[in-house]
Amino acid sequence: MDYQELFPVPVEWLQDVDRSMARTVADWADAEVIAGRLEHKEDYDALLLPAMRKLLVDIGLQSMLWPEEMGGGGLGTPDAAMTLAAVIEQVGRADSGIAFVLANTFALQSAFAIEPYKNEALLEHMAPVVCGKDPVIASLILPSYSKDPDAAAFYGLPYQAAAKRDADGWLLSARDARPQCSGAGAYAFGVACAGESDEPMLVLVAPHLRGFSTGEPFKKTGLAASINADITMDGVRAADAQVLLQGTTRMRGMLAWYYTLCAAACSGALLATYDIIKEWGDTRVIKGKGQVFKENPLVASLLGEIGGKMAMGRLLTFNAARLLSAPNLYGPAGSPPVATAATAAFKLAARGAMEAMDNTMELMASAGYATEWNLERYWRDVKTLESCVLPETVAQTDLARHYFDLKEL
Amino acid sequence: MRTIDDFTRPLEYLAPVDKHLGDIVRAWAEREVMPYRRQYDEDWEAHRLIEPAFRSLMGELGFQRMLFPEDVGGWGFGHSGYTATIACRAFEEIARADSGMAVAFGVLFWPLVMICNEPHVNRRLCEELAPMFCDTTAPCFAANAMTEPQGGADIENMEIVGGSTIETTAVLDGDEWVINGHKLWPTNSGGVADLFGVVCTTKAGSRDLDDFAFIFVPAKNPGCTQSGPYQKAGMAADKNGDIWFEDCRVPSWYRAHGPGLDAMYFKEVISFGNMGSTAFVVGALMNVYEILKDFCTEQTYRGKPLKENDDIAGVLADFARDIDICRILAYQCARMIDRPDLYGERWSDEIVAKGRGYKYFACDRAVEDLKKAMNIMGAHGSDRLWDVEKHWRDVKIVQLWMGGKQLCQMEVARWFYECETL
Ligand SMILES: Cc1cc2nc3c(=O)[nH]c(=O)nc-3n(C[C@H](O)[C@H](O)[C@H](O)COP(=O)(O)OP(=O)(O)OC[C@H]3O[C@@H](n4cnc5c(N)ncnc54)[C@H](O)[C@@H]3O)c2cc1C
Repeated sequence: MDYQELFPVPVEWLQDVDRSMARTVADWADAEVIAGRLEHKEDYDALLLPAMRKLLVDIGLQSMLWPEEMGGGGLGTPDAAMTLAAVIEQVGRADSGIAFVLANTFALQSAFAIEPYKNEALLEHMAPVVCGKDPVIASLILPSYSKDPDAAAFYGLPYQAAAKRDADGWLLSARDARPQCSGAGAYAFGVACAGESDEPMLVLVAPHLRGFSTGEPFKKTGLAASINADITMDGVRAADAQVLLQGTTRMRGMLAWYYTLCAAACSGALLATYDIIKEWGDTRVIKGKGQVFKENPLVASLLGEIGGKMAMGRLLTFNAARLLSAPNLYGPAGSPPVATAATAAFKLAARGAMEAMDNTMELMASAGYATEWNLERYWRDVKTLESCVLPETVAQTDLARHYFDLKEL
Repeated sequence: MRTIDDFTRPLEYLAPVDKHLGDIVRAWAEREVMPYRRQYDEDWEAHRLIEPAFRSLMGELGFQRMLFPEDVGGWGFGHSGYTATIACRAFEEIARADSGMAVAFGVLFWPLVMICNEPHVNRRLCEELAPMFCDTTAPCFAANAMTEPQGGADIENMEIVGGSTIETTAVLDGDEWVINGHKLWPTNSGGVADLFGVVCTTKAGSRDLDDFAFIFVPAKNPGCTQSGPYQKAGMAADKNGDIWFEDCRVPSWYRAHGPGLDAMYFKEVISFGNMGSTAFVVGALMNVYEILKDFCTEQTYRGKPLKENDDIAGVLADFARDIDICRILAYQCARMIDRPDLYGERWSDEIVAKGRGYKYFACDRAVEDLKKAMNIMGAHGSDRLWDVEKHWRDVKIVQLWMGGKQLCQMEVARWFYECETL
């Protein structure tokens, strides 16, 4: 399927490497996931894990930002935003849960593997694992609601972990913190917390550290590839070298990558939705066998809405990625205009995706609701993404703060 | 403290048994469903957890007898003048716990509406079928088999399509109907139902509603086979599958009423479906109100409980407003079915169209509101522990079934604007 023909994005922003990686991943999507899902549905061990292994290790996605001399792909520049948008979109077409895992992993990597914030020592330290033979995924523990009204907060949203200065670093604590993608053997955690003078910081924590424990994976609506479990940290010690970033701008920069890559996951789910509804609309007949489904004006009006949202979701994603990829033109990822645009892109892409999928399910009725037709899994995945990445009202306030210069919220 | 009972219902419509029955169903739901419902998704095929809860409500408490006349062992609600209003209360109470269960329960009565409701009680069939439901404490299910592989919406679109797409045929052979055809998706299929009400045609391709036939077929009849259940996004307590009829024979009196009348009273079945669907989503929404209230009181943002933040309170207000409105609609819909003396026949185009409107209004609001509820809850919105996501998954299908939303729109437009070709 030539999606560019249907839902174009500005091609001048994509480099050869973006196109060729997206093609490779598109082939992976068809062969490793789509071909097997009628049989295996969302089975983690039978389908998703082997597919992730192929993608991360064999194709080498997980090490693409690492320098070539360390065994990586050497793509650790802001241009990677376009590459990742193109790649994660294709992953999302196959499985939005795997795409979400990648969004988490690369958002964390963006904090230390991308110029101008490359942390050579850390890259070197992690290279043997990341450029090795096992899948390496990362998990983020971001601000969320809390039962404690006095908890330190990032723009009003409480951190889930608290950090206390210790002799040569930090002591981290958290009770039943709700991360993203923590449960399936995440190799590294990015823990957001308040550091010196309440400055936001992101600390890299390995799960084998003393005091770190992972709960039982819990069940959730979708994103089966992203197994998740609550985290408790009882005085986990982190050296200063593990602090990946400090300050609001850097934190917002990491989040801008996260939101953009989550938008790409939604865009991929929409491409899959397109394939499903296209087949249905071409072949279903209604009104006494007299009318090909898509030629019914009421149906067509919804198909129009659906197509429009697909086109917009893609444009938003690639535009947000473009902002990240050209800091010389648009400013750093964490600058208010870029970070806000990334938040807006994610929120609108996710909402648009949800609306398009809701409408698609309406047009497919029972078939849309049945596991067999696959639409419902994307529908569950995107809803999970939309709600768990960033609570709606928090995003709205973030946007208002920038666009309307709020002083108090 | 405010509870779900503070949502409005027109009190003057309620049945004398409303409180008594409502209390029993609520106690049952809180005891036998709510503590286990989180595991229902994994139980979609075996119903190991789900079946005992049905057994207790339908068989042991006896609710499966509700519609049958008293003299055949039933509770006689079919001539109570409150059939729909009582059902509405029961449906919302069950759906508060699990809307899939409410659907399976509701559909047990759906085909029986054809024969147990005044003024068109079919005495002979009632007497013949009542023992299956009334002389047992085991759960006994019925299913309403309309949908076929080529499309369900067209079969319900009787005004325009006139039954001409129905491919399941019924041919009279002596004093037996011989039925051939393939149905899919009926609630309580997938191996559950003991009795099917089957939408057939006596003349394939005919647009004459005299050829529309509604025939009862016991599931164990030779020639009737069922597939196992399909896996789907939600509603695990409702099994759906294929049913095949191959030269399946039933006595000629198993046809509900006869030429013209089957099609006419079948529209009453649709009216009940509209009321039931509205009540199901109201029940689910009321439970989410309870959950949201707890969540938004406990969790803080900007240093105060979520519900004390103006922006979140705005969303919560919309949620409560919609429940209040949809609940009034559900009971209004029920009232219109129960009081043909005031509102006209319940199989009339007017009652069907207005019911379709209520149904799709309530479903649209519910789908939007539940999405927002999940968004408010952030990382917990999609967590099964809170059950909100379950209600979101379940409610979506209520919007899609019975011909889908677009058919509802067309029927409403057709009636209010006197359209002739939609
Ligand atoms: C949980 C569940 C329970 C169910 N219970 C039952 C049951 O008890 N009994 C039963 O018989 N079936 C049941 N169904 C099936 C359901 O009622 C049908 O799926 C529904 O009627 C739509 O039929 P369809 O899926 O064949 O889609 P189609 O008939 O192909 O319709 C698909 C879509 O086409 C569009 N469409 C159709 N007609 C028109 C029109 N005239 N104008 C504009 N757009 C139109 C609508 O968007 C519609 O949603 C159930 C399904 C589920 C999932």
